[in-house]
Amino acid sequence: MSGFFASEVMRAALFPSTLIAIVASGMSVMILAHRLAFLAVGVSHATLAGLGLAVVLALPLLPTAAATAVIVSLMLASMPRHRGLNDDAGTGVLFAGAMALGIVLLSTASKYEVDLFGLLFGNILMASERDQYWLMWGSSIVMISLIWAARPWWSIAFDAKTAAASGLPVHLYRLLLYAMVGLSVVMCVKLAGIVLTTGLLVLPAACAWFWGRGLFGLWLISLLISLTGTWLGLFLSYILDWPSGATVVLTLCAFFGLSWAGSWLNQSIFGGSPQRIFD
Amino acid sequence: MSTPSVCLNHINVGHPEQWILNDINLIVEPGHFLGIVGPNGAGKSTLLHAIAGLIEPDTGHIDLFGECLSRFNRRKLLAQTGFLSQKQETPSMLPMRVRDVVALGLATYPAPLWNFSRHETKVKQALALTDTEALAERDYRSLSGGQQQRVRLARALATSPRLLLLDEPAAALDTHAQELLYRLLRRMCDEQGTAIIMVEHDIAAISGYVDSVACLNTRIHHHAMHGETIPEEVWHTMYGDHMHVVAHDSHCIGCHDQHKNAGDA
Repeated sequence: MSGFFASEVMRAALFPSTLIAIVASGMSVMILAHRLAFLAVGVSHATLAGLGLAVVLALPLLPTAAATAVIVSLMLASMPRHRGLNDDAGTGVLFAGAMALGIVLLSTASKYEVDLFGLLFGNILMASERDQYWLMWGSSIVMISLIWAARPWWSIAFDAKTAAASGLPVHLYRLLLYAMVGLSVVMCVKLAGIVLTTGLLVLPAACAWFWGRGLFGLWLISLLISLTGTWLGLFLSYILDWPSGATVVLTLCAFFGLSWAGSWLNQSIFGGSPQRIFD
Repeated sequence: MSTPSVCLNHINVGHPEQWILNDINLIVEPGHFLGIVGPNGAGKSTLLHAIAGLIEPDTGHIDLFGECLSRFNRRKLLAQTGFLSQKQETPSMLPMRVRDVVALGLATYPAPLWNFSRHETKVKQALALTDTEALAERDYRSLSGGQQQRVRLARALATSPRLLLLDEPAAALDTHAQELLYRLLRRMCDEQGTAIIMVEHDIAAISGYVDSVACLNTRIHHHAMHGETIPEEVWHTMYGDHMHVVAHDSHCIGCHDQHKNAGDA
């Protein structure tokens, strides 16, 4: 344990990882409530286009990727409803198109020594000061939006039609939600990479779903799981010398397995209702 | 004379070749209970959706509480209405207590995410009105369809709306629950002056409770007040010539005169 904290690299990774864990825990509850897990997959892969663009045009990586992810998310929020496509089809089209564009752009920029492994699987240990600065800005925006719009977002997730009939500007709130999903995805890419980002944005709330009830309860459990999973994952990656992002996602997967098993045991053996534990 | 709760002026929805709603004019005063009947595809739900601001009419305008419903005052006017759709678009998978679902009716504005119980009294009142107090701590997902419908009605009532728009609210309810619901709605009209527009298929079930019935099939073919007869031709126009009208109850709006004539004969 002391070796972990003595390591300058690991100590430096703790702060950005914690920021990402906090953002991911809050957004994951909304992503599950609005059934946006596939959207998160699509947007995370679409950020490859932003990263490719940043590499080719020598722009800062995270802000360019963030702008791309938000634009793609907003396109997904608007496109399907007006053209008769469902969300899944729209996500599939943009996912494939943006990913292909990213691959083409990155292939033309091989001379810039792009850390493709870091992009695909994350590398929080290499977060620069500039990255940390952007992560702080991004997490502040996401958290303020989350606290400000949580109730309307929750209401829309429950029944969008009734929410609209009560005067709530559902489309505007949906645009904000999609934009925040895009921003969160880019932040998580730094820790888990394009391929594994969805894990950070789905698993904490998926675990919380077994135990929590109500928005606040779910968010608290999700936060607890996200922070514990991230810290434990980083620690394990240090002692086992495994890639940090993948280890964090594996730890969260283990939490999900334990939650599932615990919930099953509680219901089938003790006859309890797991949601009653954390009201 | 008080300001009407709803005033529809020459509402058209759809295209001239195939109107969904054609030249709808209707006034609903505070405390008035209006039933809307008509066959499938008559535009009943579309009419409710237009009044609830979910769709914009192609022509005509809608006044709510004396103000024209527009994008600028939409939020203010709709905050005073309660809406209950036929069913939820997608079944909710959110793990929520019933009382939290009812509190969602009050969540039309941004507020801190932990502040769900600030309107505890209103939530309790809405639960009491719909006889769902015993379900308050239950998980909404574990309720039956009928129970969920009552909880959703409680959610619509939580804001003490001046206007209630109900799309077949009794569809999932048993006969006893239906009767309780209609009685509750009648009481809300009489005691609180709430205006209610309710879409229903079964005119016989609601005729003892409503003040008037509008017969809708793209346009309003007849608007019958309590104690007035709906001519047989209207039923034939709406449902087709195969429709056979049987008088069963002198209190039923549709059967009033037929029943009297049958008695005279």
